Amino acid sequence: MTQLDPIRLEVIRNALIAGAEEMNLSIWRTARSTVVRETLDYSTALFDGEGRAVAQSTRIPIHLNSMSVCLDEIVAGPIPLDQWSEGDVILTNDPYSGGQHLPDFVAFQPIFAEGRRVAISASIVHHVDVGGGAPGSYFAGATEIYQEGLRLPPVKLAENGKIKSEILQIIRTNSREPEKIAGDVHAQVACLAVGQAAILRLTERYGVDALVAAMQEIVAQSERAMRAVISELPVGVYEFEDFVDDDGQNAIGLKVVAQVEVSGDECTVDLSGSADQAPGPVNCTLNMARSGVYCALLCLGEGKVMANSGAYAPIGVICRPGSIVNCLAPAPVANRMATGHRVVTTVLGALAKAVPEKVPAAYYGVSYVAALSAPDPAVPGERRVYFEVEVGGWGGHPTADGADGYSAGFHNLANSPVEMCESLFPITFTEYSLITDSGGAGKHRGGMGLAREWRLNADWGTLSGNFERFRYPPYGLNGGAPGSPGRFVHYRGDEVTELPSKISGLALEAGDRVRLQTSGGGGWGDPAHRDTSKVADDLASGRISSQAAENAYGHQSSD
Amino acid sequence: MAEQKPVRIAVDIGGTFTDLQIQDARTGQVHALKTPSTPQDPSIGLITGVEEAAARFGFAPTEIGRLLHGSTIATNAVLERKLPKGALITTRGFEDVLEIGRHMRKDVYALKAEPRSVLIPRQLRFGVAERITADGAVETPLDEDAVGELAIRLVELGVEAVAIMFLHGYRNPVHEERAREILLTAAPDLSVSTSFEVSPEIREFERCSTTVLNALLQPVISGYLTQVRARLAAAGVSAPLYLVQSNGGVVSPEDAARLPAKLLLSGPAGGAMAMDALAKQHGRLNLVGIDMGGTSSDVSVVTDGAIGETTESEIDGLPVRLPMIDIRTIGAGGGSLASVQQGALRVGPESAGAEPGPACYGRGGKRPTVTDGNVVLGRVDPEAFLGGEMVLQVESSREAFDVNICKNLNLSDAAAAEGVVAVANTHMAGAVRLSLFEKGADPADFSLVPFGGAAGLHACALAEELAVSEIIFPSNASTLSARGILDADLRWDFSKSAMTVATPDTLASLSTKMAELVADAARKLEQEQIPETDQQIEISADLRYRGQAYEITTPWLEISAADAHADSAALKALCDRFHELHQTRFSHNAPDDLVEVVALRAVATGKLEKHGARAAERAVPAPESTEREVCIAGKWRTVPTISREEALAAGAPMTGPLLVCEEYTVLLIAPGWQLSPLGHGDLLARRIGETA
Repeated sequence: MTQLDPIRLEVIRNALIAGAEEMNLSIWRTARSTVVRETLDYSTALFDGEGRAVAQSTRIPIHLNSMSVCLDEIVAGPIPLDQWSEGDVILTNDPYSGGQHLPDFVAFQPIFAEGRRVAISASIVHHVDVGGGAPGSYFAGATEIYQEGLRLPPVKLAENGKIKSEILQIIRTNSREPEKIAGDVHAQVACLAVGQAAILRLTERYGVDALVAAMQEIVAQSERAMRAVISELPVGVYEFEDFVDDDGQNAIGLKVVAQVEVSGDECTVDLSGSADQAPGPVNCTLNMARSGVYCALLCLGEGKVMANSGAYAPIGVICRPGSIVNCLAPAPVANRMATGHRVVTTVLGALAKAVPEKVPAAYYGVSYVAALSAPDPAVPGERRVYFEVEVGGWGGHPTADGADGYSAGFHNLANSPVEMCESLFPITFTEYSLITDSGGAGKHRGGMGLAREWRLNADWGTLSGNFERFRYPPYGLNGGAPGSPGRFVHYRGDEVTELPSKISGLALEAGDRVRLQTSGGGGWGDPAHRDTSKVADDLASGRISSQAAENAYGHQSSD
Repeated sequence: MAEQKPVRIAVDIGGTFTDLQIQDARTGQVHALKTPSTPQDPSIGLITGVEEAAARFGFAPTEIGRLLHGSTIATNAVLERKLPKGALITTRGFEDVLEIGRHMRKDVYALKAEPRSVLIPRQLRFGVAERITADGAVETPLDEDAVGELAIRLVELGVEAVAIMFLHGYRNPVHEERAREILLTAAPDLSVSTSFEVSPEIREFERCSTTVLNALLQPVISGYLTQVRARLAAAGVSAPLYLVQSNGGVVSPEDAARLPAKLLLSGPAGGAMAMDALAKQHGRLNLVGIDMGGTSSDVSVVTDGAIGETTESEIDGLPVRLPMIDIRTIGAGGGSLASVQQGALRVGPESAGAEPGPACYGRGGKRPTVTDGNVVLGRVDPEAFLGGEMVLQVESSREAFDVNICKNLNLSDAAAAEGVVAVANTHMAGAVRLSLFEKGADPADFSLVPFGGAAGLHACALAEELAVSEIIFPSNASTLSARGILDADLRWDFSKSAMTVATPDTLASLSTKMAELVADAARKLEQEQIPETDQQIEISADLRYRGQAYEITTPWLEISAADAHADSAALKALCDRFHELHQTRFSHNAPDDLVEVVALRAVATGKLEKHGARAAERAVPAPESTEREVCIAGKWRTVPTISREEALAAGAPMTGPLLVCEEYTVLLIAPGWQLSPLGHGDLLARRIGETA
């Protein structure tokens, strides 16, 4: 077949998506660390032979939409495509070569059929530890990337189908968890062959030309779909700003500004007005910022746009070098998610000015990551690291309330069961609940934030947290109120200490309690216009207090 | 267990039809019968079927020895939310666990979250002061007065069903049981379920969800069973009734009414059980079954002669943590709708459902479905659909394609229809491949078993997509689920949470727990009066490497009912088996790492007698026509049509293209495939050029 018919196209498209999902499952099956197996922090994709992203697995937006930029940077610089041979695997974690932060390794493998490079399979995995100033490689005190761990520029990890053991040895030697990282790197590489098998099934069945033509058309379909989405936006320039609390080292808010210019079926997102890069590790590379912009626009597509390079084509992204959204080496980047989430909420805020009927108020807008290092209750003398990721409320939507306590926006991760945590770590939970009055008031209420509180049972513990939205709460829209800010509180006897949003090395004693409150989502629309029966429902179910019902919604209590 | 009376009946109640399989020990024959379902009161269709069968196959209702009943009553009650008012009592501070869930979303780029299912609203979730720690110790005693006050309040609120889930209640049920006692003393009419009794396993959200489902289903299932039993008595049937569970075994109505959550995913279980029987019958160790229905298709897998099981499943986004047959359901079926979006052809996930159904049903459906595709391609006889119950409107199918697909893509009817069928096939093939891939299996090692009304038309194309070289077309494909139920055994599952490392130091406590578990299982078999020769108790353990988040249920063959004592050799054998399973499933293992025991399990089986039944011979109906015009690979060709009986009687293999017409289904043997009898009334299709 040289002429591409729509049926074969759809058959191949489905097979490519299934191929990306098989790669996804392959990593889950073979990975070693809990970061990968439990919180599912990895993603997979298939590219065409020229390096355009075509099909992705249903995983993490931040990963997925960064891989193609990463590949562009690799082939434009250190390893041009004509040097990619059959059996090669190209690996990097360097944020300044298209990567994200050092724990995220990106791997690519070219796939050849009939002597032609027809596709590239790709995977990105968050590894458990790549060295640096703190376990897990989240060193809040870093001021240079050199303090954050092993930095691997794009290298050929494998040639002729053979992994170079010396590179693997470099990786192992630099990690606090050598066995786990080696196991996870193997899993990440093995999944590339699964992608290769999926591609070769298609070339055998339909021929190389058909596959190449189909991939081209799938990318073109996405581009048309994204152009259609942009065309529905009124022509104009829309600006919005939001803030990152601080960089964890100086209590100064960091501005993120998005200026979205819509002209016909294309748009340009200019983030140049954003703050200068910060001393602490909340900086984003250009790739991260672009991934955030793409994520926001894909969300606007409401599921109608298949995420791939075609979807990115009509979107221009401008970021001032040296700013927090396009930091220059050697700025530290470990906690780049703080700013990454903010890029998403800022771009969405600007888009809300263009299509207020489509865009919700801000979601909680950060990955609430906490880590506790404490003695292992089962093995004397050993220590264990308890790691949790929490979420908050979604923003009120023009047609519906925001979801309460649910994963949103830039990431997509799972929580850990309380009973499992208590069985493995020396802690006892005292609360896990939705917080009354945390969702921003509005015609459509913001989703509720979560409270998670526990007590330390062991003699000592060391706590760190990477949070946000303590000082700048998620915004409301169209008259809706902001969501409640986040809080992190330490209780020792009668002593109550409010902690900052970013903290590392806090010493805990037996009996200490720690409470995290995540932020609620912003409200949408004037609270006075909220359906009175919904206000009554919220009151009856304790989602709002009687005081809030009266003050924010003007609800007259019946008693 | 032998039965005194000669007739055993299996009934499978589906959305459209109630299927029966009737086995008569006097003749050794098995008969099949289909009657329309009566969704308003499913027991009416059941009785009609039994009475029709008695008349047609010549037995009296009093000669029925056992009646095995599969249904989707529990499933439908949940899907349609026809549930009583319920409340949850839980540890104070954790009332929202049921709603918070596990955070992960499926629609990655949504701005509006997919609605989440929460069966008990926040104002009916009550926390009481109490706390049990991870090791089972009582840290804060239960506030009994508060529970007593709650009981009164619940009755005032009109609550019928109550779920009790306290943290670590799987480990120590003392507070859950005491709270139940207090509730029932104050309000004896409440239906109360405790998490310990329903799903005594670690992970509070999943356990809570399962307990809530059980509590809300109790009044539903009790009511239904009372009705069925009254109708059966009125019809003169005195045979004991058994209900099919999601684990593939059956239980008494009393057990079903107490633990109805075990029925929740029993719908597809019958088909999977039939697959298990087929594997044994034909000596084929690896089968993958696809049951293609209207809105969805179910994939089940037999590997190395054993049907896959799981303890992690969900219904409508609500986790069910109970042992059950592992079935992957995909949103592609005969009713999947085709459309053109931005110049691209899409099939599903939207479905025309039963109403209005495909365009050819003539009930107002205007958009083309996969079934319409088969109609346009001439693969379905419009006069003989569903045994002639419904005459299909070919013109409506064509028009649906013309208006929605052909014009936009500039394709002929047949090309568009064939395209839609091809796209649906890739969806299904993708799901089958993933089902096998996650078990570490290769499709090439499997035989495909299509069943249900529609799969016979897609089997050859699916097999080609999957590089599977052999297809088994079972007899009674459209009532296969009932056939599987006919061979069911009684089964009860028991589990105990362990959460301990598997080392010789912990052997004593593991051994004690194991002995308790085996005793529970043995007691149940005795209560049910299962003769010793028909008793079986199998032990397994959910294991993982320390720090992992997922367990593998590992058979503990060294432990038996007769010798429930675990010594260090038995523990080592268990761990070795785990390392092996881990290698197969996850491609690596770590024999030097600590192994953790998360739960212990016992399966108690009471075997029901098997008769080695054979399908009743039926008169070969004179085929109405001997050929049809069918479109295959873009060409219209004259394809011979034969009956299954003719196919079974054929002396030499028959070569495709060929249509095999049965009462409720059609098999398309594609060009390049050869069909021959396999024995037991089953047919085998093989790719030409491939040998066994």
